[in-house]
Amino acid sequence: MHRKLAALTTVPILAVGIAGCGSLGGSGSENGLDVNRVRVVLGSSSTTADTYQNSHAFTTHVGEELGVNMKADAIGANRAFQALDSAKTDGSTVMFFHDMAYLSVKYGAQPEKFALDNWKVGPVVSTNPGAAFLAADEAPYDTMAEAAQWLKDNPGENLTFAVEAGGTSELSLDAFYLWVEDEYGAEVAERIKVFATGSDEEKNQALWAGNVDIIYGSIGGNEQYTKDDVEDKVREKFLGITASEPVEGYDIPTFKEQGIEVDGQPFTFNKEFFLLMPKDVEKNFRQTLDSATAKAIETDGYIDELAKNKFIPNYVPIKDSKDYIEKKRKRLESIIDQAPEFSDLAS
Amino acid sequence: MDVLALLSPMTFLLVTFGVLVGIVFGSIPGLTATMAVAVFLPLTFAMDLSEGLALLIGLYVGGISGGMVPAALLKLPGTPSSVATTFDAYPMAQQGFAEKALKIGIVASLIGGVISLLVLYFFAPVLSGVAIEFGPVEKFLIILFALTIIASISEKSLLIGIFSALLGVFLSLVGVFPMNNELRLTPGFLEDQLYDGFSLLPVLIGLFGIAEILRNSELGLKDAAGKKVKLAKSKGSDEAKFKFSVFKGQGVNTVRSSFIGTFLGILPGVGGSAASLMSYTQTKNFSKKPDKLGKGAPEGVIASEASNNGLTGGALVPLLSLGIPGDSTTAVLLGAFVLQGIHVGPLFITDNPDLWSGIIIALLIANVVMFLMMFTSIRYFARVVEIPKYVLYPIILVMCVLGSYAINNGVMFDVWTALIFGVLGFIFMKIGIQITTFLIGFILGPSLESNFLDSMQASSGDMLVFFTKGPISWVIWALIIGSVVFGVRSNRRKKKAEAAETAEAASAGAN
Repeated sequence: MHRKLAALTTVPILAVGIAGCGSLGGSGSENGLDVNRVRVVLGSSSTTADTYQNSHAFTTHVGEELGVNMKADAIGANRAFQALDSAKTDGSTVMFFHDMAYLSVKYGAQPEKFALDNWKVGPVVSTNPGAAFLAADEAPYDTMAEAAQWLKDNPGENLTFAVEAGGTSELSLDAFYLWVEDEYGAEVAERIKVFATGSDEEKNQALWAGNVDIIYGSIGGNEQYTKDDVEDKVREKFLGITASEPVEGYDIPTFKEQGIEVDGQPFTFNKEFFLLMPKDVEKNFRQTLDSATAKAIETDGYIDELAKNKFIPNYVPIKDSKDYIEKKRKRLESIIDQAPEFSDLAS
Repeated sequence: MDVLALLSPMTFLLVTFGVLVGIVFGSIPGLTATMAVAVFLPLTFAMDLSEGLALLIGLYVGGISGGMVPAALLKLPGTPSSVATTFDAYPMAQQGFAEKALKIGIVASLIGGVISLLVLYFFAPVLSGVAIEFGPVEKFLIILFALTIIASISEKSLLIGIFSALLGVFLSLVGVFPMNNELRLTPGFLEDQLYDGFSLLPVLIGLFGIAEILRNSELGLKDAAGKKVKLAKSKGSDEAKFKFSVFKGQGVNTVRSSFIGTFLGILPGVGGSAASLMSYTQTKNFSKKPDKLGKGAPEGVIASEASNNGLTGGALVPLLSLGIPGDSTTAVLLGAFVLQGIHVGPLFITDNPDLWSGIIIALLIANVVMFLMMFTSIRYFARVVEIPKYVLYPIILVMCVLGSYAINNGVMFDVWTALIFGVLGFIFMKIGIQITTFLIGFILGPSLESNFLDSMQASSGDMLVFFTKGPISWVIWALIIGSVVFGVRSNRRKKKAEAAETAEAASAGAN
């Protein structure tokens, strides 16, 4: 009886365990790849963040095109880099993330060994053009430029921003800080403070609690709080987006339209999603993946899924992606070099 | 849309399937409700949203409920929120009343789940205001309040209890400091492995699973086999039989615990584990027989299980009325909405009445199905206690290793973490550090820290903010003080009674 019970208990446990651990790789797919399963590790651990949604569209449609089982695994930046670092060259593990992949190294949030040079940059696939700054609806300013003017006109006041250390929010704040310093002087810029937070949900709560004046969010995620019927204490308003072009259907000015510049050039930041692969990933895999991505990204299914959350397809093939990202990185890193340290901005 | 349309056979099937899989996930230490929801999340994209949510809600309720099974049978909490279930359910199981303990837990879970569901249905928009009123200062104090359980459960010495909990908090801070991304308390050669700190579940598995195996191995398994647990036959024994009358006199406890669970669920960033711990403390403080708690009292099982299931409806309050998830599982659940392009926010309920009703109905079905499934099958599970330890322990060890490996999809360091904390737990037992309070410190440490830091950021470092913030914080302070005083007094009474017993025994021996 006991043996039976033991066997009955062990078999399902082992089955679940083995299924949970998952064996990657395999005997190959019909597409000539050495793998029939690809683990796509994500640089974000959240299933509500834009990385997860963009990766879902990618894994579903590109996986289908490749005829392999692609599975997104939201494990967070450090774990994802580690997984990529120890990945085989057959493409069984690749990483999906956005510009924070290299910005986080520059900010010191991730170690130097995970810098862009150590990976093979895969295709760029999509953009979230909705990265935005927001304030409480009752705030005495309607745009980022007006917020800066308000700060200048009210010498006793500070402007506190909810941002994540080493994130894209810190980058956009850095650009704003440099512009304010240039436009209104260091005394005004020094009254820009940060309140360190993580997720979008935490940023919203910090705003509602009155602990911060401005938060970094997105059109998709925050639009619901800007509607007229929303209660006053949680109602928000958009102050500006960082994308290079305005988003259709929304009357939110870009930084460029507000005249926010760094080094004499308008500050624009399009949050772009791309793949990273092991440096010596097999040529066959990367070429097959690249052409499958090129095809999949033009399908209605892919485009429609991105459109649900107001993301747009933005394909840059592997042959150009490295230079494309490098150029962007250099510009953004020069902004980071000029900006004050995060800890100096802490309130 | 009428109710019948919402009750489609497909919805029912998906909820049922979700509850079943959820119970399996919850029952296996290392697999949690959050993980179950995350695994099935991508599948929901191909479904109608209300069907997808039905599946995920089933997984959520099943996962939270399943955690009680190993907690009662193996003293190994299936999920962090069932830690407090081990306090009384395990001693009951060891006395041969495993089936009764589990049935009490299942009924309490149903009541907790249904109460939280009613609160969600009738008061969600009103309570979202409460969630906003509770800022970091109040949340820090709430967690401090949950920590007062140390005063109640400290075996022998309160000072050692506090020390153990602080050690737990300390070790929970290992890894990257999110405010500036610097590593702390991390040896150079383990920077990669410890970047995100020690994972909670391997620590829990190590402390409760592996350490216990080591302790029993030291005692000798042959001896232990001699003292084999025999499941008491409920037919022959009135004490072993589960009767609903066990809830007689427990009405206040059940309702209070359900409300504590629901309320803590409503507060994002406090954590589900705090709910069952806080309910347990309050039950002990208000109990007529506090000495019985921890030794196999049904009221302890009721407190823990009513509150951790109360959490389910509670955590959905801020999610559905503000778009802010109440706990880690609802955070993953929110992903199902976002994948479909639906952003849950303050207008969600008014804009999506059908979806809202669907969620409520799915939650109700999930609770009923969970009850029926577990209540009818639990006597088979309960037989696990009859398996001799020399057969059972190797199975648990395999489970511990596999569970730890699976937690982060195959990180070997998590297995090492379980083994390291297994050995540490064994050493802790030897030197008198209390494992349970250590774990409570470890679980609550990160939210304690983040709320403390947010309070400091918001007040420019003024520590007085914890006393001057306003009436809510004063009420929580009063509760904290009351709870500590109760705990200390009851410990003293217990010690006095024990001393009197010893003296009596000694004088009887002398005569």
